[in-house]
Amino acid sequence: MTPILGRFLILASVLVSTTGAFIAYAAGAKRSPEGLRWSQRFAYAFAGLMVIATGVMEYALITHDFSVQYVAHVGSTQVPMWVTIVSLWSSLEGSILFWGFILGIYIAATTWVNRNDHQEYMPFAIGTWLSCGAFFSFLIAGPANPFLTVANPPLDGPGPNALLQNHLLMIIHPPMLYLGYVGMTIPFGFAIAALLRGRLGQSFLRPLRASLLLPWVFLTIAIMLGGWWAYEVLGWGGYWAWDPVENASLLPWLTATAALHSAIVMERRGVLKGWTVTLIQASFLLTILGTFMTRSGVFNSVHSFTQSAIGPTILVFLAAVLVFSVALLALRIDSLEAEGQLDSAVSREGMFLVNNLFFVVLTFTVLIGTCFPLIVEAVKGKQMSVGRPYFDAMVVPIGTALLFLLGVGPALPWGKASRKEMQRALLPPFITGVVVLAIGYALGVRNGWTLLTLLFGGYAAHVTFAQMWLPLRQRMKRGDSFGPALIDTQLRRGRRRFGGYVVHAGAVIVFVAIAVSSTMRTQQEVTLKRGQSTTFAGYTVTFTGTEERAEPHRQSTIAHFNITKGGGPPGGGGNIITTMDPRMNQYATMREPIGTPAVYSTITRDYYISIMNLQGDEAGVLIINLPMVGWIWFAVLMMGVGGLIALIPSRRRTYVVVPESAPDIDSEVVA
Amino acid sequence: MNKTVLIVGVVIVAVVVFVLFAGLGKDPSIIDSPLIGKPAPPFALKAVGSGETVDLTALRGKPVILNFWATWCGPCYEEHPTLVANARNLPNVQFVGVVFNDDEDKIMRFLAQRGTAYPTLLDTNGKTAIAYGVGGVPETYFINPAGTIVAKYAGPLSTEELQANLAKALR
Repeated sequence: MTPILGRFLILASVLVSTTGAFIAYAAGAKRSPEGLRWSQRFAYAFAGLMVIATGVMEYALITHDFSVQYVAHVGSTQVPMWVTIVSLWSSLEGSILFWGFILGIYIAATTWVNRNDHQEYMPFAIGTWLSCGAFFSFLIAGPANPFLTVANPPLDGPGPNALLQNHLLMIIHPPMLYLGYVGMTIPFGFAIAALLRGRLGQSFLRPLRASLLLPWVFLTIAIMLGGWWAYEVLGWGGYWAWDPVENASLLPWLTATAALHSAIVMERRGVLKGWTVTLIQASFLLTILGTFMTRSGVFNSVHSFTQSAIGPTILVFLAAVLVFSVALLALRIDSLEAEGQLDSAVSREGMFLVNNLFFVVLTFTVLIGTCFPLIVEAVKGKQMSVGRPYFDAMVVPIGTALLFLLGVGPALPWGKASRKEMQRALLPPFITGVVVLAIGYALGVRNGWTLLTLLFGGYAAHVTFAQMWLPLRQRMKRGDSFGPALIDTQLRRGRRRFGGYVVHAGAVIVFVAIAVSSTMRTQQEVTLKRGQSTTFAGYTVTFTGTEERAEPHRQSTIAHFNITKGGGPPGGGGNIITTMDPRMNQYATMREPIGTPAVYSTITRDYYISIMNLQGDEAGVLIINLPMVGWIWFAVLMMGVGGLIALIPSRRRTYVVVPESAPDIDSEVVA
Repeated sequence: MNKTVLIVGVVIVAVVVFVLFAGLGKDPSIIDSPLIGKPAPPFALKAVGSGETVDLTALRGKPVILNFWATWCGPCYEEHPTLVANARNLPNVQFVGVVFNDDEDKIMRFLAQRGTAYPTLLDTNGKTAIAYGVGGVPETYFINPAGTIVAKYAGPLSTEELQANLAKALR
């Protein structure tokens, strides 16, 4: 019964999304309000069908209905309930259904929020979203159908891939990533609508920007959670390996970040419209490329789903969207022409341009590094892999330059900066930068890139905080008291601006923490007999023994260590600060046992113990001392929160069009 | 019509689509190894159970399928029946298992429960695995009758993949 219901819902959604897309495009071409209303109804209907279909699949998973093929593939009565629930996104077919579910919700929500606005663009936007919806419904109905039936249902299934059961982050990382990935469809629809209409009016910038910022926030957090997950489970003390699929999540993030910046210039000066639209298209296309990478079996990666037939289908879709986007862009980019112009390169908008340039160069760098093995194989028939050295060598300088811009850009005024203005803006933060550099040097930092990051980081932090509190200072000068001025300038009227600087402050911390944690890490490999200790990086580690634990889905050997401060006597006589219990898990279905390291985090550093091997009374362990690594998670979260602050809509919808003749407009006017 | 956008766009589309289509259908498990086309590194290792020494150079004249595995490896369990069945069906092909980083009694138990049709050798200090550049288990090397490595496969083999790679050794 369940599989039939599921298949019926999916077929209905193919029908609804296809019909809805046609109606919406026709309504756009004819400018028919009645057609727009109908396309809105179809958008809601598509969302409804997707939500119910996903509910049906969850029901099948929870009730262990092994007559459904997907449940027979990934379900198991032996795994905990949370694993059963998240099995929806643990394998190919379910994850595509989940994609449809999120797409449906995004489409319905955006359609509803803009139900009475932007009537000029909405039909084309809805048409584009529903076309994407049609493609994903088709995938679910055909090549990746999770609702196929099993003729002789097994009594129990194998459960999802063991690596995915190894950490609770499986609950949150994939949904965040999908919210980021799928969400890029929405700004893409808006961008296509602007191109089809041949104009991008000032009032349409708001939904465009908001629709880009929301998935950007999710993607930011998802990337961080992925890194944190790798760090918590993989046992090598790292959080980023330039794996093709990690890169796939980074690529749309880079272009979306560039687009968020160019959208600000577009809003202020009426320029870069075609460029912003291009970046938004690129962000969407890169999410589809990322989906192709994970699901085609072309790339070897820890994230790859098993080889499947949907690779070619996604590639055809990617190629079609690429061709469509390029053709539309070539036809219409000139009609989005600039209303304003840029006055000077040494100005805030000039820095925005350089920022965009660097983001795009970074995108191409990562993209080429990721695809290079494929290119070489296609051209020369040889296999090769591009490793960490390429990415580090290319990305570190560009990243450092971006940090520099993050400091200099906001310090420069809009329009044209005079020499005196420049000196006043650029010199004081430089002093802060030097102070931070000196502190780092005194604490033992010797790596050139890290020192440069500290200099630019100090600089950017100064500028960011100065900009953050600038409106507050102005208000207080005018005689307002601190409290109301704070709430009004930061959270009420200047919310967008304030949120943006919170993101910048987080980004500065991320840059510094990445530089410090990767160049200042120290590690030691040691074999300890039970009762033996070793002292490393200020702590004494004593191996107190092991324990076996059997769970239905895995066998674990847990090693116990006592951690005491300082040198201490052998045997660890001092006061025990904490115990650390790294473990080895052997899942029935895995190639190799999976270790779970233990991490002891303090504000300044992480102390990380990972088991290399366990034999009787001996434990070979890897101990890593990672300064500042915890700051990365915290600071990325801060970036997400900043994005959310900037996203909350203002109560009054006022749009201020900046006239061409007034380049030096005060920054609060628009907020 | 903006020609610059069109030209740049068309170039990007062409490159992306060409590269990705070229990548489709390739199996990333078939791994390039610098050893392909080179003589297989020689070894003489003791067989589990019998204690006899098996010398690779003595196997010249027959294609050899050299499978690195371990009892702690899940996919090796999956692959084992395929290897045993093919070894029984292909009397003219010499199958050799090399166990990597494992205990002899565990291997004996594994083979007793699941059966075997070819010698299983003990690579005590992992030197043979290192000589072949084994990156993980299971990993399988196909050696032609002249003693040259012709293919390397990472991950559990299916019968089709085994035969496709074996064909290279018989060519």
